[in-house]
Amino acid sequence: MREVGFRGGGFAPRNLPFAGALTLVLVVASWQIAASLGWISTRFLPAPLAIIQALVGLAQSGELRLHLAASLSRLAWGWAAGTAAGLMVGFALGLFSLARTPGLAIVSALFPVPKIALVPLFIVWFGIGEGSKLVTLGFGVFFPTVINTLAGVDGVSRSLIRMGQSFGLSRTAILTKIVLPGALPAILAGFRITTATAIILLVAAEMIGAEYGIGAFVLSAGNLYDTDALLAGITVLSLLGLSISWAISRLERWLLAWR
Amino acid sequence: MTLRRRALLAALAATPFAGPARAAAPIRLGVLRTVSPAPFYIAHSRGFFAAQGVEVEFKFFQAAQPIAAAAVAGDIDVGVTALTGGFFALAGKGELQVIGGGLHETKGFELTAVLASRQAYDAGLTTLDKLPGHSFGITQFGSSFHYMLGQLAAAKKFDIKSVTLRPLQQVPNMVAAVRSGQVDATMAIASMARPLEAAGEAKIIGWVGDYVPYQITALFATAPMIATRADDLQKFCRAYQAGVAAYRAAFLRFDAAGKPLYDAATDAAITDITKYVYTGDPAAASKIKAGIGWYDLGGALDVADVKAQLAWFAAEGLVKGPIDPDGIIDTRFLPTR
Amino acid sequence: MTAKSAVALSVEAVSHSYRDLRALDDITLAIPAGEVTVLVGPSGCGKSTLLGILGGLIAPSQGRVLMEGPIADDCLNPLTYVFQDFALLPWRDVGGNVALGLEAAGLSRDARAARVAEVLALTGLGAFATAWPKQLSGGMRQRVGIARALAVHPAVLLMDEPLSALDAQTRALLLEEFSALITASGVTTVYVTHTLSEAALLGQQIVVLSRRPGRIRDIVRINRPLAGRRVGDSDLVAVEARLWGLIRDDAADAAREFADA
Ligand SMILES: Nc1ncnc2c1ncn2[C@@H]1O[C@H](COP(=O)(O)OP(=O)(O)O)[C@@H](O)[C@H]1O
Ligand SMILES: [Mg+2]
Repeated sequence: MREVGFRGGGFAPRNLPFAGALTLVLVVASWQIAASLGWISTRFLPAPLAIIQALVGLAQSGELRLHLAASLSRLAWGWAAGTAAGLMVGFALGLFSLARTPGLAIVSALFPVPKIALVPLFIVWFGIGEGSKLVTLGFGVFFPTVINTLAGVDGVSRSLIRMGQSFGLSRTAILTKIVLPGALPAILAGFRITTATAIILLVAAEMIGAEYGIGAFVLSAGNLYDTDALLAGITVLSLLGLSISWAISRLERWLLAWR
Repeated sequence: MTLRRRALLAALAATPFAGPARAAAPIRLGVLRTVSPAPFYIAHSRGFFAAQGVEVEFKFFQAAQPIAAAAVAGDIDVGVTALTGGFFALAGKGELQVIGGGLHETKGFELTAVLASRQAYDAGLTTLDKLPGHSFGITQFGSSFHYMLGQLAAAKKFDIKSVTLRPLQQVPNMVAAVRSGQVDATMAIASMARPLEAAGEAKIIGWVGDYVPYQITALFATAPMIATRADDLQKFCRAYQAGVAAYRAAFLRFDAAGKPLYDAATDAAITDITKYVYTGDPAAASKIKAGIGWYDLGGALDVADVKAQLAWFAAEGLVKGPIDPDGIIDTRFLPTR
Repeated sequence: MTAKSAVALSVEAVSHSYRDLRALDDITLAIPAGEVTVLVGPSGCGKSTLLGILGGLIAPSQGRVLMEGPIADDCLNPLTYVFQDFALLPWRDVGGNVALGLEAAGLSRDARAARVAEVLALTGLGAFATAWPKQLSGGMRQRVGIARALAVHPAVLLMDEPLSALDAQTRALLLEEFSALITASGVTTVYVTHTLSEAALLGQQIVVLSRRPGRIRDIVRINRPLAGRRVGDSDLVAVEARLWGLIRDDAADAAREFADA
């Protein structure tokens, strides 16, 4: 007689709430220790403390505020414009046969184009002022928003829409009470991608003609081989990404409590 | 040690066609693919390096900044590049040493023009001292253009902070921006600036060379190159000097009116240069002539100016940390101005 | 709402095709007011299609459906469905789902709240008004489905296999509740099922459809009120046997088919 061995289990990863933060702290701490002990050369890789010092210096001189203010307003406007346009087009493609196929063709053709490559064109069309920067960000945000919105609308169960019709809901009511909330999870998931995309594109957008902005600052620091400042700028971008991602999580928890 | 090596080198040099004593690795030379390193092209084409017993391998770059970075990474041994904030920052880490002169701005030799847009010119930006309050296109903070504007500001006694700097990354962007009036002013070399003015698309309101003695580019070597192959570097520099001499004979002779004298030597040099740039371009000759800049006799380095540049970059906060100017300049290989 | 619904439907020569596929062929049928009509037949015979045509969700290829009789003043949606998959909005709580049809009819907030409370009490959901659908069992979800339908005081209730997604015990319990609710409201009902015991327990008129293309094979009547019918009653068992005899061969053929909708 033999005992039956257990062979199930696994394949069920869980989220450990504090492990993420702890990992980051540990990595940074060991990096600092290794640098302090001279195990890694700080000549071209500044230690965390040097980066923090650079950050503090930037904050105290008021430079950080100037750069952040410029970048945040560009991010906000560029993202909002790209998202608004993307939502409208995404819904149109999801709802109207006439828009769908031609629209999808255009979106599929333009989505993979690296937006950075288009920056020179945007500059010719919209100038070196805020226009081209907002368009660069908006353009980068637009396509993923369209794709996610469309996927969200397509994913709304047809039986729910038929149910709405069977209770005599108007087209508008079906749109606002069934399609929109049904597509919301996909749209919010898209926000994660598009906010990250916007931050990535910030450097490209601020490449031309920007006096202030975290992207411009990072570029300039890179050009000057000011590695402390470069990594300080990158840290700011990374923190920006983390805070936005956190905010979206809160938004999801609030709007998608029903899941 | 150095003295002994120098004596040895001198002995070697005295023996014509001594040939390589051993099969040394080629010296990897990083340059921009433009006309500006022309003396190196001529030296290579005419076998001056081979005659010294060194083999040179050109590594071409699209932008000046990566040349210094490539040297730090060990991809090249020597390079010719602009003395920018980024260059000084890398050199300040002890990796790079400036060993000789390259292009100079020189009084009367119109190389870099200050261009005003039509609109700004019509609105009163007619001279350099009116630059305050205007926008100015440069490639990047800490670039040569930024430095030159700083020198103009010092000469014309205005605060560079009163000019709105617009980093545009690339020279074509600067030209496009001033043409369309998106910036009030910028800088461009004569071969670009003159046609713009002729077409009425921009106005030349000054020449950088009239205001500043300025070492634009320099020859640098990596610290390991200097430490382990100083003799090869010495030979390399001699060949470079021969190249400079040929270059000056071809392009830098002038008549009484200051116009360059072109003759068979010019044509021969152009033939040499077209092996490296504008290859097969029917307009190569005129393009090369338009891109010619000043080289000092013997490839001399303007040490005082290099120090002044470093001091300016440091004062503007574009180069961090104390950098000892003597620590990044090595004058053993080429003459100084 | 205890007054019997006076609305009857009559199906006149209805045929329907999905592209080349003929789903229904020349159906003519009277659905009497205040009675329960059950549609049975093998899967794929067009029961759902016919129900969709009855409620105006599918336009028939040929023929028409007429609605006869006065519609009560408090009826907000004469032809109202209960769906097999419940079709609850996951982002609305139970109360919100029940209120959906009332919102569409433009009822005031107070009037909505009153009707929602009324039907939730009726269906035993009083304690679950603020629960999310995901928190409910299948049986509770279908109770929400029936509450949502009753809330609009329908003239005709159209139920498409409302129990087939549930387990056997839940099915038996809900069937009793449905029977009581239908009796109490007196609403004209069309009930689609392929479970013959359900047909016998609920049906007053049982319409047997043949395999594709769906035609009326026979109509069986049980002239006994719903109240008092029990599983195992001999007359009902006899009806079940008769129904099985009618559809057995078709069902066997249908089971050997590849696709099913
Ligand atoms: N939207 C549709 N498009 C094409 N064929 C369909 C569609 N809906 C149903 N059918 C087909 O029509 C036939 C009848 O379907 P249905 O009315 O759902 O049958 P039942 O409900 O009796 O199982 C089936 O063969 C089914 O495959
Ligand atoms: Mg069905």
